[in-house]
Amino acid sequence: MEGDVLQQDDREPVAFDWSRLASVKPVELGLRFVFGTVIALVAAIAGTAAGPRFGGLFLAFPAVLPATLTLIEKKEGMTKAWADASGGVLGALGLGAFACTAVLLLRWNPIGALFLALVAWAAVSAGLYFLFRVTGLFLRQDRLVSKAGS
Amino acid sequence: MALKALIGGLAVVGFSLVGHAGHPKRFAGLFSAAPSVAVASLAITAVLKGAAGAVPYARGMLIGSAGMLAYCLVSLYLIQRLHALVGSILAWLAWLLVAGGLYLVLGS
Repeated sequence: MEGDVLQQDDREPVAFDWSRLASVKPVELGLRFVFGTVIALVAAIAGTAAGPRFGGLFLAFPAVLPATLTLIEKKEGMTKAWADASGGVLGALGLGAFACTAVLLLRWNPIGALFLALVAWAAVSAGLYFLFRVTGLFLRQDRLVSKAGS
Repeated sequence: MALKALIGGLAVVGFSLVGHAGHPKRFAGLFSAAPSVAVASLAITAVLKGAAGAVPYARGMLIGSAGMLAYCLVSLYLIQRLHALVGSILAWLAWLLVAGGLYLVLGS
C-alpha cells in the first residue's frame, strides 16, 4: 500500500464526476448484474428452503466486492482497491443501520420503512466517512492495518 | 423469484455506477457496501407477502451485515498481502464465520 497515493486521494474533495461513467465497459456492468442477480436468487432460494431469516443473511453478502476490487486494482492499482475496501468498512456499518431501521419500521409502512432505511444507510456511512476524514481517524486506521499487515 | 433476481441485478448496477462516479476512493467505497440487493428483495417480498413476511429477511440481513463488516476488515488485511482477487475472495470466509456463527448462536 502506497501511503502517499492514499493521502493524495484522501485530500480530493468529495464529489460525483458523472463523466467517469463513460469509461465503464459493458462487460464490467454485465459482471455486476450477473453477481447481483445470482445473490438475489440465492437469498430467495435459501429463504424458501431454510427460512426467511436464513435467506436474509445473503442480502448482506459481499457478492460483487471481489469483482469490484479486482477491477479497481487492475485499472488504478492496489492502493485504490484498498481504499475502496476501507470505505466499505463504513458502508457495512451503514448496512447494519439499514437493516435495523427495516426491522423496526417495516410493519408500520414497508415503502416508507425502506426509504428511511436507505436514509439511515446514507447518514451512517457518509456521516462516519466525514467524521473519519475530519478527525484523521483514517490515518490511524491505515497505520494500524499496515502494522498488522507488515 | 425471477423478479427479485432481475431487480436485484439492476440495483447492484445502479449503486455501482454511483460508486464509480464518486471520489475520493474511500468515499466511493461506501457504495461497495450499499444495500442494493436488499432494497429490491425486501420491497418485492413486502409487496408479495406483506410487511410481516419481509421482517424475518431484514432480521437475517442484520446478522449478515455483521459478516459484511468482518469481510471488509479482513479484506483490508488480505488485499495488502495477496492482492485484490485472492484477498477479497478469501475474505468471504470471514463473512461465513461471522454471519454463520451469529446465525447459529442467535438461533434460527
